Amino acid sequence: MNALISLLNMVFDVILAPFGHRFASFDLIVWPVLAGVIALLVYKKVSNQKGIAAAKNGIQVHLLEIVLYRDNLAGVLVATANAMKQNALYLGNNIGPMLVMMPPMTAVLVEIVANYAYSPLPVDATPLLEVKMAEGASVKSMDVTLDLPAGLSVDAGPVATPDGMVAWRLKAETAGDYVVTVHAGTEAQQKGLAFGGEPRKIPVLRTNTWESILYPGEDALPSDSAFETIRTHYSDRDLPYFPDGEGGILLWFFGFSLAAGFALKGPLGVEL
Amino acid sequence: MSRAELACAFGLLALTATACTTRGPDVPGLFILGVDGMDPVISQRLMDEGKLPNLARLAAAGGFQALATINPPQSPVAWSSFVTGLDPGGHGIFDFVHRDPKTYGPISSATSPVTDPAKAIEIGDLYFPIGGGEVGNNRAGVPFWDLLVEAGVDTEIYRIPGNYPVPGSNAKTISGMGTSDMRGGYGVYTWFTDKPVPTRPSGEHIKGDIQIINVDDYDLDGTPDSVHGALKGPPDLFHLAPDAMITDKDYLTAGVTFWLNKGRSEVYIQTGSGSGHHDTAVLKQGEWSDWMKVTYDALPGGMLPFEGMVRFYAKELGPGFAVYASPVNIVPSNPAQPITTPDDWSADLAALLGNFYTQGMPEETNALKDGLFDDDDYLGQVALVREDTRLMTELALARFQRGDMTFMYVSDIDLQCHMLWRHGDPKHADAEAHPAWETGSAEEHRLDIEHMYRHVDALAGRVIDNLPAGSTFLLMSDHGFQPYTREVNLNTWLRDNGYLVLKDGKTTGTIPTDDVDWSKTRAYNIGFNALYLNQIGREGQGIVAAAEADSLMKEIADKLVAQRDPKNGDAVVRSVARSKDIYATQRASEAPDLIVGFDIGYGNSDQSTLGEITAEVYADNTSRWSGNHLMDPDVVPGVLYANQPLPNAAGARVGGQFGLLDITATVLNHFHVAPAPGMTGQSIY
Repeated sequence: MNALISLLNMVFDVILAPFGHRFASFDLIVWPVLAGVIALLVYKKVSNQKGIAAAKNGIQVHLLEIVLYRDNLAGVLVATANAMKQNALYLGNNIGPMLVMMPPMTAVLVEIVANYAYSPLPVDATPLLEVKMAEGASVKSMDVTLDLPAGLSVDAGPVATPDGMVAWRLKAETAGDYVVTVHAGTEAQQKGLAFGGEPRKIPVLRTNTWESILYPGEDALPSDSAFETIRTHYSDRDLPYFPDGEGGILLWFFGFSLAAGFALKGPLGVEL
Repeated sequence: MSRAELACAFGLLALTATACTTRGPDVPGLFILGVDGMDPVISQRLMDEGKLPNLARLAAAGGFQALATINPPQSPVAWSSFVTGLDPGGHGIFDFVHRDPKTYGPISSATSPVTDPAKAIEIGDLYFPIGGGEVGNNRAGVPFWDLLVEAGVDTEIYRIPGNYPVPGSNAKTISGMGTSDMRGGYGVYTWFTDKPVPTRPSGEHIKGDIQIINVDDYDLDGTPDSVHGALKGPPDLFHLAPDAMITDKDYLTAGVTFWLNKGRSEVYIQTGSGSGHHDTAVLKQGEWSDWMKVTYDALPGGMLPFEGMVRFYAKELGPGFAVYASPVNIVPSNPAQPITTPDDWSADLAALLGNFYTQGMPEETNALKDGLFDDDDYLGQVALVREDTRLMTELALARFQRGDMTFMYVSDIDLQCHMLWRHGDPKHADAEAHPAWETGSAEEHRLDIEHMYRHVDALAGRVIDNLPAGSTFLLMSDHGFQPYTREVNLNTWLRDNGYLVLKDGKTTGTIPTDDVDWSKTRAYNIGFNALYLNQIGREGQGIVAAAEADSLMKEIADKLVAQRDPKNGDAVVRSVARSKDIYATQRASEAPDLIVGFDIGYGNSDQSTLGEITAEVYADNTSRWSGNHLMDPDVVPGVLYANQPLPNAAGARVGGQFGLLDITATVLNHFHVAPAPGMTGQSIY
């Protein structure tokens, strides 16, 4: 998992934010549009274009049939069934291309989210660092310890819960990127915290589950880690024109990629 | 088309565009701080002592006067008069509490009676609403901000009392006093404790939702470590028949878990339960959390979630357990009910300010009255509200430009005068100790009210120093303050004087529980200052004919004014006004018949206000609610400060003073806007 995350970070750290993270609109428009165009071309290559055209044509024919023969109940029922069959064929023709396109589209999306969905913590904030122990971990939550770098201190905690959570309230002296180390027995894992300063890629969550791919701000935890998650909550970043945070980015991404796809399907000769 | 014709066409187009997007008059802006409960006598003393430098500066540059309040001098009544330029007979808000003339029971004055009952379709055990049951704002008249916006003036109104439910408007408004919490009331806190809670020190019932919990030992290691509780949210309407009474078990709940550390010095709080939505905080004993989200699922599967927000206070973590949770407030960024106009303005404000108290009168007076908060706990919470006000005022100032009108409401002084007067009368140097005086804390908190005035002074200083040059600045209050040392039960007085008769020879009882014999009762009290005759044709079981109403009112009024407190011989009631003599007539039929103006130190008891008849008429007020203003309006005028010289008020309408209605007229006149019909105030400039 970490190799994949590293590879994605290597690529996207170069191509995202060419003008810095301040101008979110650039990446939030350019990459969805490019993703839409590339998806269109991939779709053209990997899909059964003739089959899709035939299914769409079939749907139209049977819908017309329903309109024309609306006084004939049996005819309408047969036409409806045929239209549904063509719909199923259309969806079937789309499953393959969807599976092909989903991984790269997801990769673009999660990288954009990591870079633009969150704001660094205000310098005067006292965020929680929350650790969830993995099921079956040999170390109890009460025995988890924390090492802090200079400039970061514990404001309250730890409070360890018998159901496997540990929480500290932290406080930073100045803006900056800090790395804390969480210990469970002989295992030590690091976690980044971003306080103040310019917008940047935010280290939200480390986990040993598949979800780590959704949080490329940091490496995944080892699969045999005593920790299931180590996380800090960040505020949503204000985004222009759309809802803030992840929701806004999803709207930006799908809005622009779909718009680009539909705008260019004619010129690129793609049957959608 | 020639170039000249083309230019002319473009000119017309520009003129048309200008006309379509009406701009207000090119005048300096007007900024008003509305400070609830600020008193002219206390203000003058503190200015004389040099403790209010900014207000003294304001008074010297412009002016400072007492401002006549309205009758009765209650905040929702007074602010509604300021908002509409009408007296209570015009806007229809006569008291905090009105009565239903058919049932005689107390009802909220803020909302209009529901004329179209709620309807629902019953499917299984669920009721799906299909309409009706709409609750509107009871205030009549045209708010001044609507007139201003119509004239093109950019108008922003922050936390205006009496504006919830929020009537439609093109102005930017956010409602204040009267805005409900998620339960739909004026704010019910939750108290999680492992000890039984006694009744109030004054003997009244506790107002909070008390949850007696066990501190569990989750992992059975011999150390209690966790507490599970629930926060009540909106009524569970999908499981309630439309006409059902809402009981305590009919609210949606959201789970909350408290995990204690080994030494019980800190707690980890999780709102929500299982894998549901949750927010977390770590608190040390004595700390307040930030706002934490809670989610209520009205339908299974999270199909209809309502979001609220709550703040926790870790009062005691060990050896006992006592944690306070604020009333669940409406989330400004995602309001379950609109609290602003336009609807999404609250989200815009939240984006700039973060979350803030949205409940009206958010100062936690109930927990203090209930004896669960001490003064330090209370003042800690007041400081959170004050910080909201400060940030909101800074934002309003930053947005304020030439030609704009902004109103900002400040609650700091009013509620602290209500709650902290008992520690030392800031108005009467020779006053005896208040009946609610507390030996342990009085000296430490003797100057708390003075501190509140100084906070307002600092806020006024920020406004004075940051307004654009030439702007007009008014600081006004709706009423002043007096001590509240003696409770009067008006219903009991009516009983003792033969105007109210209880059934079956009872001597105590309540109106809502049908203890009153209406066939023999001629007058009753519901509300803080309101007396109603039991009139034929108006009340459900009226016996007083219209022809005898005037003589009966005169008889009751004369007796009340002649009444003396048996404890000390002092006058109890300073004036009794007939509403038909002092109010406009638009909504006169809903008005109380008599408005009782108590003398200094006296006030109607909470029990009588809600229709209870107790054994005794008089009692010492031992409640922490120790200052008051629900008296004769002449003894509790408000204040008016201005940064422009105030003209001599000798010609003004109300006893030589300008009054609240004159401020409304002044606002409109400032922007050359004509008053709405019925507005009778006179502009001070």
